[in-house]
Amino acid sequence: MNSKNNDINQLIHDTRGPLNRISMQAELIKMLLENDMPKDKALTAVNKIIMACQDCSKSLQEIADFTVAMKDPSK
Amino acid sequence: MLQVLLVDDDTEFTDVACQIIEFIGHEVCVAANLKEAKEWLAQQKFDHVLLDFMLPDGSGLHLIDYLNKNDLKPFITLITGHPSVKGMLAGLCGPKVNYIVKPLQREDIEATLNKNTKQTKKINRNMPTLHFGCLVGESKPMQELYTMIERVSKTSANVMLMGESGVGKEVVANAIHTSTGTTDPIVATNCGALSKELISSELFGHEKGAFTGAIARKDGVFVRAGNGTLFLDEVTEMPIDMQPNLLRVLENKCVIPVGGTREIAVNCRVVSATNRKMTELAQGNIIREDIYYRLAVFPIQIPSLSERKEDIPLLAEVFLQQLNAENNTSYTWSTEQLDILKSNSWPGNVRELRHAIHRAFIMSDPASKKIQLPDTFISPFAGNDNNSSAISAGQTIEDLEKELIRVTLDKVDGNKTQAAEMLGISTKTLYNRLHAYGDFSV
Repeated sequence: MNSKNNDINQLIHDTRGPLNRISMQAELIKMLLENDMPKDKALTAVNKIIMACQDCSKSLQEIADFTVAMKDPSK
Repeated sequence: MLQVLLVDDDTEFTDVACQIIEFIGHEVCVAANLKEAKEWLAQQKFDHVLLDFMLPDGSGLHLIDYLNKNDLKPFITLITGHPSVKGMLAGLCGPKVNYIVKPLQREDIEATLNKNTKQTKKINRNMPTLHFGCLVGESKPMQELYTMIERVSKTSANVMLMGESGVGKEVVANAIHTSTGTTDPIVATNCGALSKELISSELFGHEKGAFTGAIARKDGVFVRAGNGTLFLDEVTEMPIDMQPNLLRVLENKCVIPVGGTREIAVNCRVVSATNRKMTELAQGNIIREDIYYRLAVFPIQIPSLSERKEDIPLLAEVFLQQLNAENNTSYTWSTEQLDILKSNSWPGNVRELRHAIHRAFIMSDPASKKIQLPDTFISPFAGNDNNSSAISAGQTIEDLEKELIRVTLDKVDGNKTQAAEMLGISTKTLYNRLHAYGDFSV
């Protein structure tokens, strides 16, 4: 039971990573736009946000699969 | 401009965080793990460390311990995904550690770095080392205590903390918890403060409708502590008829909430505390023997302040600096004042010392930088244990001698050789006296 709890905590921790990246990249874009800085940097940040969203979605799916497996140990 | 060390293994995050920190106007270096962080710290001085909680080669807390041990004093901000770290940070006391929760925003970073800029002016560089982020003292008994904490934190053994009131049992519990590096919380409960009716619900939780007033399901402290630490203060004050329930949990590692049927597995370390003496535990009907052996797998005796008087100036310095930081003042101690503090007996231990310093701090003249100590430190609790041996006119010398022998024997748990040595008489003389008193059974 405890190792399962640890696993789920790890999965949740893994999800916070991309969320944190999204938040920081968005802050960077805000900063670049407010200060009239090069657009290409902002564009790179936007692309990174899109990739982090994919990572986040993947992690959430793993949590969903894990929760199903916890309810049904035969899987 | 601050020198900032960012310790995080997420390179994308560190890249973007660096751009933001540099934009705010600070210089930043990056470490991806504890090893790299230590290398940076050996090379240059940092004002602020932004530290991820979970790193590939250990916990951020290990770096805090490293900084404390090496007398490095940057402001530390833990970056955590777990708001539960708040409980743990309570034990790290000190004004130089705080935390921010992921996902981060620019304002979080800006606010925490600005806080440092304001505080660095106030903090004295001579702050004594805080061992495990909270314990103060370099005396031999404290060094032994630190070794015990370090050793036991590597195991999952239950710990019983013993010591006089005010020695800092909860602080030691926090130190053990911090030293384990777990991200789960430390949950504290006072067994002496709970009524017999509520104790089961507090410890094991209850189901909705289990009793009148149980309007919702509630987790007990065993469950809330998760894989962390459960601190049971004043455990010997728990009603003896409730102790078998606790024993069952300690043995089976699972709880059944009040009014429930399902068992919930628990995995926390139990750190319990008592200010009763060993002899009291054994003789009085205070704690069941089986519970004692379950709780005190590793008993730790915390030294009283009178056993480590050389630590008093260090404690006084820490308390004063904390008060200075809280109140935006800059009082200092003089050597004579520290000597006065050292010469007092402090029967109420660190708690009494802290209280006396706080009082002196309030009474001090804000126009002066020197703190003003009172002429005497009077505690209503001082010397309570010795009331029975107070001298009054009308007593015979024989009565006083008898009382002195009784008190001395009590003090050394009935060891006659030791008592004779303390009384300055031979063991044979002591036996003669005891024999003469006849009814004197020890």
